[in-house]
Amino acid sequence: MSDTHTNYIVVVKRDCPTCVLVEPVLAQLQSGGCKLQVWSQDDPTFPETVTDVGNDTNLEKSWAMKIETVPTVIRMEQGAEAERTVGWDRSEWQRLFDNDELVAELPDFRPGCGSKSVEPGMPEKLALRFGDINLQSREIVVGEMEDPMESCFERGWSDGLPVVPPTQLRVVRMLAGTNRDPAEVLGHVPPDLQPCTIEKVAINAVMAGCKPEYLPVVIAAVEACLIDEFCMHGLLATTWFSGPMVIVNGPIARAIGMNSGGNALGQGNRANATIGRALQLVIRNVGGGKPGGVDRATLGNPGKYTFCFAEDEENSCWESLAVQRGFSPEQSTVTLFAADGVQGIADQRSREPESLCHSLAASLLAVGHQKFVMHSDAFVILVPEHQRIFAKAGWSKQKVIDTLMEFTTRPGSELVPGAGGIEEGMPEFVKDMELPKFKPGGLNIVHAGGTAGLFSAIVSGWLASGDMGSSPVSKEIVI
Amino acid sequence: MDLEGRGIPGGYILTEQFRQADLAQAKSLGFAANKVFVEHPIQDRTDDEMGVIAERAFEAVKAMIVEPVAD
Amino acid sequence: MTEVFLDPTAELSAANKAILPRLASLEGKTIGLLDINKPRGDVLLDRLEQLFAAEGVSVRRYAKPTMTRVAPLETKQQIAMECDAVVEALAD
Repeated sequence: MSDTHTNYIVVVKRDCPTCVLVEPVLAQLQSGGCKLQVWSQDDPTFPETVTDVGNDTNLEKSWAMKIETVPTVIRMEQGAEAERTVGWDRSEWQRLFDNDELVAELPDFRPGCGSKSVEPGMPEKLALRFGDINLQSREIVVGEMEDPMESCFERGWSDGLPVVPPTQLRVVRMLAGTNRDPAEVLGHVPPDLQPCTIEKVAINAVMAGCKPEYLPVVIAAVEACLIDEFCMHGLLATTWFSGPMVIVNGPIARAIGMNSGGNALGQGNRANATIGRALQLVIRNVGGGKPGGVDRATLGNPGKYTFCFAEDEENSCWESLAVQRGFSPEQSTVTLFAADGVQGIADQRSREPESLCHSLAASLLAVGHQKFVMHSDAFVILVPEHQRIFAKAGWSKQKVIDTLMEFTTRPGSELVPGAGGIEEGMPEFVKDMELPKFKPGGLNIVHAGGTAGLFSAIVSGWLASGDMGSSPVSKEIVI
Repeated sequence: MDLEGRGIPGGYILTEQFRQADLAQAKSLGFAANKVFVEHPIQDRTDDEMGVIAERAFEAVKAMIVEPVAD
Repeated sequence: MTEVFLDPTAELSAANKAILPRLASLEGKTIGLLDINKPRGDVLLDRLEQLFAAEGVSVRRYAKPTMTRVAPLETKQQIAMECDAVVEALAD
């Protein structure tokens, strides 16, 4: 960074009043024979009274020396940094330069200013230009006549909506959202079973419109979808409606501004919208899973663009989904469910928990098919005004689930082919059995939604649940 | 033409004279469409001569729009 | 200025934009012949139309009003609605 004859390096910029303040000190030191190399970040003619000022307007030196504040004084020993001080602190400078007679008219102390090399967005630019960032992905040069946005569509990278073009700078900025190595392989994404690195996740997160701080959530969602029990390959390939729904729990949900309140399942929140979308783009682009290709959905559902929200833990009287699944409240997690669309349940009259359970149960029976049992799993997204009825009665979440399981248990005679005048139904042998609508563990409740409205939701799942297909999976979010 | 974007496969016929220009365009568009080159010049050809050019190009034109038949 | 993107895919296909799959066969298909309105292109397309017709392929003819502009939107939409594949001629 400097030849061995230099004893001191000082980094300054004209735009900093403290740097201007110390100009006579630098001149005094240099004329006194001190071997001083000054680098200027903004104006190579500053300081005028110092000779041989180095031009660091491209900030290469500042970046390499990790300058955060100007002025920074670095004392060198045999070509290596021995110590540094920032700003103007008379006693520090006198100690560092071993000189008790620095310009007397100056105040004893002035803080410095921010280095240009740490201005917002600059560290990533400099890292890309001067650093050893070694991204593995193929570079795609976009033609001069190409519109970058159109180009992404034409290359087949989009889910149908515009994507943010994944420039190197944007990807580097995205990767700053995690401490993990860009080259780390998370697993193999179906259907093509291609290795998926953190870097590939970051590229797709850029395209989805994520902020870098969302990246750890996206990474966890990708990791979760690769867990065997989730059966992402089959989920993608099925003719059924489902796609992955992402439920975020723990402190990160609030930290990154996710919506767990009004319209939590709807549009309008960037984190909700882009995290779910990024997961789908990874499956599309890294896994090669596209409609018309391996994705054979007969109708699909709009949640296959994106389906992600946070549980409202703060205003809930129950343990969260994540805690119920074995995590601590301090851990941040994603839980994935192979989900169809949203089915509303209106009940504005029930005041007793039993009545509300009967209401919910009646609607839950319709999941998949009114005569199917032990097929689809389901999540009830219970809104605050409905949860309050259970809270008032002192019901635990488990008690509500047990009651719903009981109220949705049906005699097999109502389920067999022909019953109710419907040819569809469960096999004949269930005729004399009593069967619960859901498998054990197949019914879950999370708390979300606005404070007004006695309208909860059922999100039902893939007909092939459990060992036959997909089970909900959870993964801790690691920064 | 953005007919490919509308799901219609296709290609175009151009004369040898345009080989370089076509390469440059493909580069700037990031996209090389299917094409068939025919001889140049053509402005001064008789109708019969144009017919012969078309006949010679026909198999290549079909190959632009139809998958090769597997042996 | 050219931009550089990082490939979001598993990089199994060529870096260039892929072209659509071709037709499996010409049987029962309709081919659009688009005259980009340069001299003699029409004569070439007349002959190609005969050759396609001789193989039992339906052909529809379209023309750009001027060779200097891209085809109007209505023409593109018409081709998309009426044809299975399209051939443009003749650039010289």
